[in-house]
Amino acid sequence: MEQTQKTDVIVTEGVTKVYDADGIPVNALNGVDLTIQSGEFTAIVGPSGSGKTTFLNIISGLDAPTEGKVLLSGKVLSEMGGNELSDFRRDNIGFIFQAYNLIPVLTVEENVEYIMLLAGVPKAERHDRVVAMLETVGLKDVEDRLPTQLSGGQQQRVAIARAMVSEPAIILADEPTANLDSKTGAALLDMMSQLNAETGMTFIFSTHDPMVMESARRLITLCDGQIDTDEMK
Amino acid sequence: MILKIAFRNIFRQKRRTILTALAMIVGFTLSSIVIGLSDGAYSNVIKMFTGNRIGHIQVHREGYHDKPSIYKTISNYESIGETIQGNTDVEAWTPRVYAGGLGSVGEKSTAVRVIGVDVVREIKATHFDKKVVEGSPLSITASREAVIGQGLAKTLAATLGSKIVIFSQAADGSIANDEYTIIGIAESGDDITDRVTCYLHIEDAQELFVLEGRVHEIVVIVSNINKVGKITEAIQERLNDSTLEVLPWQVVAKSFYDAMQSDKQGDAVARFIIILIVAIGVLNTVLMSVLERTREYGVLKAVGTKPIQIFWLVIYEVVIIAIGSIVIGALLGVFINYLFSIHGLTYAEGLTLGGVEFGTMYAEVNARSLMIPGITVMLSATLVGLFPAIKAARIMPAKAMRTH
Repeated sequence: MEQTQKTDVIVTEGVTKVYDADGIPVNALNGVDLTIQSGEFTAIVGPSGSGKTTFLNIISGLDAPTEGKVLLSGKVLSEMGGNELSDFRRDNIGFIFQAYNLIPVLTVEENVEYIMLLAGVPKAERHDRVVAMLETVGLKDVEDRLPTQLSGGQQQRVAIARAMVSEPAIILADEPTANLDSKTGAALLDMMSQLNAETGMTFIFSTHDPMVMESARRLITLCDGQIDTDEMK
Repeated sequence: MILKIAFRNIFRQKRRTILTALAMIVGFTLSSIVIGLSDGAYSNVIKMFTGNRIGHIQVHREGYHDKPSIYKTISNYESIGETIQGNTDVEAWTPRVYAGGLGSVGEKSTAVRVIGVDVVREIKATHFDKKVVEGSPLSITASREAVIGQGLAKTLAATLGSKIVIFSQAADGSIANDEYTIIGIAESGDDITDRVTCYLHIEDAQELFVLEGRVHEIVVIVSNINKVGKITEAIQERLNDSTLEVLPWQVVAKSFYDAMQSDKQGDAVARFIIILIVAIGVLNTVLMSVLERTREYGVLKAVGTKPIQIFWLVIYEVVIIAIGSIVIGALLGVFINYLFSIHGLTYAEGLTLGGVEFGTMYAEVNARSLMIPGITVMLSATLVGLFPAIKAARIMPAKAMRTH
């Protein structure tokens, strides 16, 4: 897919998140205003507790902000109901988690197929896309295995395949290389960078990993729940 | 796919599945045995009470059941009996004459209830011969013989060969007074009946009470007691005589029937307690299972699974386990009920049902003993599954994925 025109895929306006920690309010995010455009390969960095994961959760609708507004592809997330939000996430966002979070009872092929099945993609098309995706991430030979029969690197590849197979507009990756050795991490990062270039999907990482920061074309630093720096490379 | 995940989750958490299934299987089996034994006991009691005594259906002159009287008689009972026998569900019928009086043996006297029986028909219908525990049943032809209840024999200090004199008032207003030789002592299974009953040949009784060719009751035995309501209606229609009342045993022995119904309510309480234990067991294991998999539900929701699909995932798991448990429970229930139907369950102290005492309970293998536990296990499991299912469906993905 070739990028023709950049659009604002994520817009946050004054996003604040306050957690209740045993009766003590903890400010995870303090009025974050941010715009991310289509096709970006952005890393959100910062020390532990800076609000990176909270920010990813809120811009994906996995969590609700205490104050402020999130627009995803022009839609206000807080105005959507439970089912609408589930459908919206399914069709627009792919997730890659630090702990892979694959469905343990489904095989590699079924994990990748799952989201398309929810979306009602016809069987033949699902199969073709799964085969193509597993080939892209180099897992064609392990399609019948369960996640527990795979290495960490292989599991993360499955997670990448699952996130990308339905061609969502945005891929959110929360510390995707944290549980991987540097060689595997680098290989996966290269793969995601290449997919970003080829498909024009927007990639947003939360990370501590210098390698990810190096690859990112935009680096946003969060500190105490606020944007400290926002640097385009 | 949700169904596939549910299936695989069941086999993945084997220990929890076995625990959940065990609660359901034990509940189903116990419930099935309770129903099998109680149905078996009720059937036996009903058979004893109806088949050997009051019959399944009774035909009287209108109003006799509510207010019995020596004058409310059926005259053409032979032809009525033949008409009744025309119903293919009728196995046998037998006419009876009833009257009260005073019975004396030597210097001892007491109130007696005279039952005039057609010996051949009575043996066929209610096994009259088997009630005679001492001596012999009445002769086929009227021979001025009497068979008296065991209690009555004791009261009158009568033995075989003793003469019993019956005093009463006949249907024509004259004094009924005659003497009969006691040739048998009967035990009907009901002490109260045996303390007052004196059986005479029907023709002897008709002669004593001046009831020539007339009877008070026609007792009908049917081949299937469960169809007694329909057969009663069919006989009523067939007789087409508004001066006759045709009553099923439930009406004839209303207090016995009501006592049985209230005993059955006691069984419902026992079943409820069993199901409550099942429900608590299932709720506990399913809830634990959901809590353990909070993170997984969070992931499923994060990648686009709708809350309703998560809800169904939990319900499917419960329902699949319930179906498996019901199948196993049904096999066990049928097997155990079958064993109890052959060998019975003997009580050290006799059990009383509907006023009838018996020492051994025989179970019945019937559809009810499978359907009621099946429905209750399925309903209660699904019902208690609702809470964990709703809990899983309402999980906030971000929060759920923070749990370990």
